[in-house]
Amino acid sequence: MARAMWKGQLQIGKQKLGIKLYSAVEDRTIRFHLLHAKDLAPVEQHIIRKDTGEEVSKDDMRKALALSAQTAVIVQPDDLEKLVPPESRDIQITRFVAASVLGDQWFERPYYLGPDGDNSSYFALAEALERQDVIGIARWVMRKKRYVGALSAVDGFLTMTTLRRADQVLSFSGIEPAKSVTPQASELKLAQQLVSSIEADFDPSLWQNEYRQRLCKLIEAKARGEKIKAVQPKKKHAPASLEQSLRASIAAVKEKKVA
Amino acid sequence: MRPLWSGTITFGLVSIPVELVTAVRPRQTAMKLVDKAGHALGREYHCSKEDKKLSQDELVRGYETDSGKMVVITDEEFESVAPEMSGDIELRNFVPLEQIPPIYFNRPYFLAPSGKSTKAYHLLTATMEKAGRVGIGSFVMRGHEYLVAIIADNGVLRADTLRYADEIRTPETIGLSKRGKATASKVTQFVKIIEDLATELAEDGNPWRLRMVGALDVLPAPTAEILKAAQEKTATRTEGVEVNLAVGYGGRREITDAVRSLLYEQSAAGRTLEELAEILDVEHIAEHLYTRGQPDPDLVIRTSGEQRLSGFLLWQSAHSEFYFHDANWPDFRRTDFLRALRSYAGRQRRYGA
Repeated sequence: MARAMWKGQLQIGKQKLGIKLYSAVEDRTIRFHLLHAKDLAPVEQHIIRKDTGEEVSKDDMRKALALSAQTAVIVQPDDLEKLVPPESRDIQITRFVAASVLGDQWFERPYYLGPDGDNSSYFALAEALERQDVIGIARWVMRKKRYVGALSAVDGFLTMTTLRRADQVLSFSGIEPAKSVTPQASELKLAQQLVSSIEADFDPSLWQNEYRQRLCKLIEAKARGEKIKAVQPKKKHAPASLEQSLRASIAAVKEKKVA
Repeated sequence: MRPLWSGTITFGLVSIPVELVTAVRPRQTAMKLVDKAGHALGREYHCSKEDKKLSQDELVRGYETDSGKMVVITDEEFESVAPEMSGDIELRNFVPLEQIPPIYFNRPYFLAPSGKSTKAYHLLTATMEKAGRVGIGSFVMRGHEYLVAIIADNGVLRADTLRYADEIRTPETIGLSKRGKATASKVTQFVKIIEDLATELAEDGNPWRLRMVGALDVLPAPTAEILKAAQEKTATRTEGVEVNLAVGYGGRREITDAVRSLLYEQSAAGRTLEELAEILDVEHIAEHLYTRGQPDPDLVIRTSGEQRLSGFLLWQSAHSEFYFHDANWPDFRRTDFLRALRSYAGRQRRYGA
């Protein structure tokens, strides 16, 4: 059972509803410690002045906002303090919009809401949202930050997805719909046939993060003390040039001959 | 914008060269770490045992197992499991967009056509938009393998990275109580609140009614929704004038929409095309324009020094008087308006006679 990460109350019109907030995503990133190769002792991070190498204590660190290549403004701690929004447990639902109005590019991070006490109101709200096919636009302050979110119902439960701000979501105007290449009806038909030939239902279980799986296996094998066969390191992530591809092809042929 | 990745979308034997650029900006502007006097700061790693500065090649990465054992993974070993470099986004299948739960969406990117011919790009975009389907596939960028949905949106392709299924929690795994029964009266109560809040978009206290003249479906959905709601909200106002908001407007499109609406109406009434052709007159079209019910404009003021209408009120302006003005619309002053009225007052209207 997952622990709630935050508690608050939804304010919808004159109604109030206590909720608990749970992350809807599980972080599966495999995390590593940075160690000193010689003695495998963990490393410590020291913050230093780049020009003198002198160590700087946490109290003396500031953040600076670059205005141009030459000038920057140092943000003082009390400036930042003033920007912190007042603490509150209220999640204001300011309005409801049709569920279809928000494209997925607005979605940032999803959470599940669980009831905190009043179960029947919780499930009533979820049902009302599903029946009306709407989402609520929510504003709240959590851990010193302001959030805008979309309140919706999924399979009878409430979810809250934080939304990106209007200035974060970019539009794209770089594509000129060139008239001369307007697809012909016959081409459209062929393309449709091709698309429908591989039509399917969305099944996320078909896809696995294979890199993470391979890394897990590698760690397990090493933990058991198995010898790991060193594999020729792959070329770095630079885009493959013709020369690189040629060399790689030649190397591949050679490898076969040796084996 | 510089592309973050370039390669090809492939499905079947089709391959479409594309460049990937970001579709979202970070929330906060990046700030630099400095000391009190503004000197730039950096970081160093020190060994916790020997207290000496370590260089990059003295560092290794270790994984701590549940039993507390530290497993060191070398750079070569990391390389050996890294995903194979590939320049392809291979679409495995096409699924209905509405089947992907919002929880899955992680980060959006735009895909721009690259290379000489953009024909295949436009073909795929048009096909996917028409079918309401999105392509699902995976690709490798900067050493990471991503699951993506390729979405056609207003003539542009987007690659939205998706979370993997094992990264998604469910109400059961979180441990939320079983879906409970809600009493009908409580549900109705919330439905009522939703309806009240839904129409609170147009500013209160204004006397005018808003009317959208334009094709709302060519606008981004949130914009269209807000405009539509504003129109609904002000529909019952009586004291002020009616303001037409021409957003996403084109005169030819308006006439086409009017004819289409007329055809639908007549066919719903059981009329054949021949019958309609016999009775069709000007008023039939006018009744289906965005401005239906409003008189035609007496005076059209064209600002910004252009000597053309660009299709504005193409049908309605048949007998209108025109007034051209050099200033751009934001600079158009009250005195300019009065001047236009004076010019209009001095003219003799002929109404096409």
